[in-house]
Amino acid sequence: MLHIPVDVVATFNVQGKIKPNYIRLEDDNYTLQTYRIEKIIFSREEKYAGLPVILFCCNISRGNQMQTINIKYHVRTHQWVLAKESKL
Amino acid sequence: MDRLIFHIDVNSAFLSWEAVYRLHIRGEKRDLRDIPSAVAGDVKKRHGIILARSTPAKKYGIRTGDTIGDALKLCPDLVMVPPHYDLYETSSEAFIEILKEFSPCVEQYSVDEAFCDMTGTAWLHGSAVVAATLIKDKIYNELGFTVNVGVSTNKILAKMASDFKKPNLVHTLFPDEIEKKMWKLPVEELFFVGNATKRKLHNLGIRTIGELARTDLDILRAHFKKHGEVIYSFANGIDMSVVVDEAPPNKGYGNSTTIAFDVDDGSTAKMVLLSLAEKVSTRLRADRVMATVVAISIVDIYFRRQSHQMQLYSPSNITNEIHKASCKLFDQLWDGRPIRQLGIHTSKIVQGNNSKQLNLFDMNRYEKLSKLDLAVDTIREKYGDDSIVRAVFLDGPVYHMSGGVSKDKNRPKYNDGIL
Repeated sequence: MLHIPVDVVATFNVQGKIKPNYIRLEDDNYTLQTYRIEKIIFSREEKYAGLPVILFCCNISRGNQMQTINIKYHVRTHQWVLAKESKL
Repeated sequence: MDRLIFHIDVNSAFLSWEAVYRLHIRGEKRDLRDIPSAVAGDVKKRHGIILARSTPAKKYGIRTGDTIGDALKLCPDLVMVPPHYDLYETSSEAFIEILKEFSPCVEQYSVDEAFCDMTGTAWLHGSAVVAATLIKDKIYNELGFTVNVGVSTNKILAKMASDFKKPNLVHTLFPDEIEKKMWKLPVEELFFVGNATKRKLHNLGIRTIGELARTDLDILRAHFKKHGEVIYSFANGIDMSVVVDEAPPNKGYGNSTTIAFDVDDGSTAKMVLLSLAEKVSTRLRADRVMATVVAISIVDIYFRRQSHQMQLYSPSNITNEIHKASCKLFDQLWDGRPIRQLGIHTSKIVQGNNSKQLNLFDMNRYEKLSKLDLAVDTIREKYGDDSIVRAVFLDGPVYHMSGGVSKDKNRPKYNDGIL
């Protein structure tokens, strides 16, 4: 499965630190839902093939359960993608 | 004290970069490096050669430069992906940036290899081999691709060492190891020994680097002139050149293009020459230099190559002047056979583009044309190359700026995904 482009609401603080707050994902009925990002477990800067990317591993609450997702911010193109793989 | 030089070489660079991009940026599961795969041009546009191949593809006997047809005969299941040059530029920059963390003196030798003068800095990390391993692993961990590092006391030996067993390894080739590690290799493995030199050396009964190193220098001089001295000293591990961190100025500027169709009329050929002249003279102007000699080359459909050159009255970087000279050369050279590839090459470069020797015949035109070129360059820089185009290229079969990397190769169109 390829990384999927997603809509994200994020805040950028005065130090330039980025914090994703909300993410829009499809639910089981293929309709877009907005989920609050409850917690950022960790973030990490990557530079594979020379392209700067910031990875956020975070929790969202979906229905009555917590789900851990990995989203990546592409610094050059300003795009957010949902990385599906579970292995980091 | 002896110097300490590293040569760092990216293992199948284009393919590795493509593989890392697909794995980590696109999120594909398949690693191109683990399967028979290649980065290849576009057969339809007759750019159909293998640009880089994976190690498993190498086992099928596929070599860089093979045609796609030949490669598929050797390995019908070969996975081929189009090139992606702006990615390669990004990856190459990141690679050089890491090297600069280890040494202040880094010479980028090509897009995927570099020399580092580690004389003063290797010992910060322990021994030379430890430092080399550290560089190799840091590049792999941060950028995701593997490199080979050659360690020695000069550039030729370091380069030879990085070419030993691949991938992802550090090799040393210090002067006392030359006999053991380098002399047994076939002579064509030596840097600067190409196919022609190899054939001549074989005729002389010289088959290994060791045999070359022990050959009488006068014999080599007699057969190869100056080049004989170069390969003789390389075979003996002698190379006095230093690692230079600043690129020397270009000696010439040239571009060529393989045309997507056979050209059999002069006017189309001259249009191609105009598009090449646009590219070459834009590059000259961007570097603030002028050229004195203009040369063109023609490759016909039978792959026969001819070239012809002339000296201009005075150095120039004006598109129209370069084009005019190219057309003159073309009329003198072309024998009417259908053309496959055309090229313009300029040389005898003069620094600066302000002073110009005027001649009687084009007194007023020079100033007008240079203003025109300046205006066009400014517009293109601001709004893109395609924002202003000569009218002859409208709806024509020829793109208005040929040569170098064509646009579609900078970024392939993926059917799915947007990155």
